Amino acid sequence: MERVIYSKLPPQAAKLLDLQPQGSQEAEAFVSAFLKRSMPRLKDEAIQDMLTRKAVVLEHSLRRRTKEKRKKTKGFSAKQRREMRLFEVKPEQQKYELFLPLHELWKQYIRDLCNGLRPDAQPQMIQTKLLKADLHGAIVTVTKSKCPSYVGITGIILQEMKHIFKIITKEDKLKVIPKLNNVFSLELDGFISHIYGSKFQLRASERSAKKFKAKGTIDL
Amino acid sequence: MSVPLRRLRETPRHLLVCEKSHMRHERSRHAAHVRSHAYNCRVSFLIPECGILPEALKSVITDIGEYYLVKNLSLHELVTHEFINTFVKKGSCYALTYNTKIDQDNAAALLPTGKLIISVDKDTYEELGLQGRPSQYSGKKVMRYIVTIDLTDSAFDPDSKKHKRVLWALKEKKPLEFDFLLSWHNKGAEGSTLMSYFSKNQIQAHQPKATFSTLRNLQCPVLHSNELHGKLEESCSAQELFEWLGAVCNKVGLDNKSFSFLSTCCCPQPSTVVEQAYLCTITGFILPEKIIQLLEQLCCYFDEPKLAQWVTLTVHGFADSPVSWRESEHGFQKGGENLYNFVVFRNLDYWLQMAVGANDDCPP
Repeated sequence: MERVIYSKLPPQAAKLLDLQPQGSQEAEAFVSAFLKRSMPRLKDEAIQDMLTRKAVVLEHSLRRRTKEKRKKTKGFSAKQRREMRLFEVKPEQQKYELFLPLHELWKQYIRDLCNGLRPDAQPQMIQTKLLKADLHGAIVTVTKSKCPSYVGITGIILQEMKHIFKIITKEDKLKVIPKLNNVFSLELDGFISHIYGSKFQLRASERSAKKFKAKGTIDL
Repeated sequence: MSVPLRRLRETPRHLLVCEKSHMRHERSRHAAHVRSHAYNCRVSFLIPECGILPEALKSVITDIGEYYLVKNLSLHELVTHEFINTFVKKGSCYALTYNTKIDQDNAAALLPTGKLIISVDKDTYEELGLQGRPSQYSGKKVMRYIVTIDLTDSAFDPDSKKHKRVLWALKEKKPLEFDFLLSWHNKGAEGSTLMSYFSKNQIQAHQPKATFSTLRNLQCPVLHSNELHGKLEESCSAQELFEWLGAVCNKVGLDNKSFSFLSTCCCPQPSTVVEQAYLCTITGFILPEKIIQLLEQLCCYFDEPKLAQWVTLTVHGFADSPVSWRESEHGFQKGGENLYNFVVFRNLDYWLQMAVGANDDCPP
C-alpha cells in the first residue's frame, strides 16, 4: 500500500494537476536544502543522521530461558523420619544385657584407634582421638550437672543426636539426657575423660570434621 | 573512686524488732521465740543494783550442760537410721558445723525439728546431685544453694528411694566432712549418749565458760515498761537502751570526754547512777531449753523486793550458722549478727528486741 504513495507520479496525473515531478536527485537536493533552511542551528551531519532511517524499537520481549527443574533429593523431612520411627528402640529390645557386646566392640575400636592404650600413653593424644571418635556403645556417667537429678545416671550410649544422648541404664530404662550444662565422664582401661557437653553440641558425623577451640569457660 | 568510699561510709542494713508483753500472759511468746533460735554462742545478763549472784542463778549456770566437738565427721553419719532413731526422734538434737564460713565454704546444721540444712557453694551443688533451692541472697549469678532434708519424714524410711539417693550422694558421690558442734537434750529418759555413739571419731566434751564481773558506778538509763518509744525527760526508748547495753557489754567507755576520740557514746538521758551492777557472760554451744530456765530464774529474782527496776538477758547466735530463727536463711554480708535481748521489769513486763544483719530475713 505504501508503494502506491512512494511511487513516482504518472506523467498524465502530473499534467492534470499542473505539477512538475522532480527526478530523485533533484528531490533529495530539495529536501536537504529545505531542512537546512528550516533548522539553521543543526549541522549538516546531524541532518544527514536524521535522514538515515533508524528503526525504533517499540517493544522488546525477552524470551526467558526456562530454568532447569531442580531434581528433588530422594529423602524425607525430619517430621517424616520421626513418624517412620527408624531410630526407635522397641521396648522388647530395651535390655541392658543386649548392649554389652556393643560396649565390648566399642572398647576394641577405641583401643585400635589409640594404638594399644598403653599405661604410658600421653593423655593428650588420647583426648584428640576421642574428640573425633564415635561414642555409640560407650558407658558414660553424668558427673556434674546444673540440674541435680541428672547426676549419677550411668549407662550405654545408644544414639547420639545433635543435642542429646540416648542412654540405656542398668535397670533397662531408656533415658534421654541433654548435652547442655552437663559433664559426662568416660572410663576406659584406667583412662578417665570428662566430656563437657555444652561444647559438644554437634552431630556425631560432623564432629569428626570439626576443629575444637578452647573458647569460653567450662564453668557450668 | 567515690563508690567504694561511699560503701565504706554507709552502715550495712540491719533490722531491729522490738516487742513488749508480760511474762505471765497466756499468749506471751517469749518461750516460742527462744526455742526457735536454735544456735546460741553467747548469753549474758546484767543485773543493776546487785553485788553478788543469787544462789538460784548460780545453780542454773553451773547446770547449763556440756556440748561436744567432733572432728572430721562425715555428713552421711547424720543421715543413717541408727542416728535418727537414737537421737533425732528421741529428744532434740542440735548439730552445727564448726569453723566454716557461711559465705565461702559449705556448712551444715541439724535442727531440733529433724531437718538437716546443708548450705553449699555452686560447684559442690552441681556435683552432689541433691535437689535444693538457690539462696535468697544471690545476685544475677547464683553462687550458693540450700539443700533441706527432712529426716523425720515418713518418706525417709530405710530402703526408700529418697533415703538411698541421699545416702549415695553423701557417701559415694561427694563425701563431705566437717567438724561438728553437737548437743542433745533428752526429756528425762536416758539413752546412749553422744559420747559413746561417736567414740570412734575424736569427740571431746566441753563446758561453757562463764565470766562474772561487777561494774561500779554505772550510769543506767531510766525505763518505763509501757513506753517502748520512751518519753522526753521521763524514760529512754528501746533503741537507746539496746545501744547502751551493747556499749556496756563490750566495755566501751561511756564518759564521752572531750579528749577521747575513740567513741562519742554516752548513756542516754534520763539516767541514774547505780553503785554496782552484776554482769555475767557465758560462751559455748548453749541450748534454748537452758536459756528458758535462765529466763525463768531471772523472773523469780523479782519475787523478793529488790532495788533494781529491770534486768536484761542478751543472747547472741553464731555468725556462721546457716539459719537464724526457725528456718530463715542467715548470711554474712558485713557482719553476721543475729541476736535477741530481753528486758524484764519488776512487774514482769518484758521487752524483747531481735536484731539481724544484712543478709537475713525479718525475725518472727
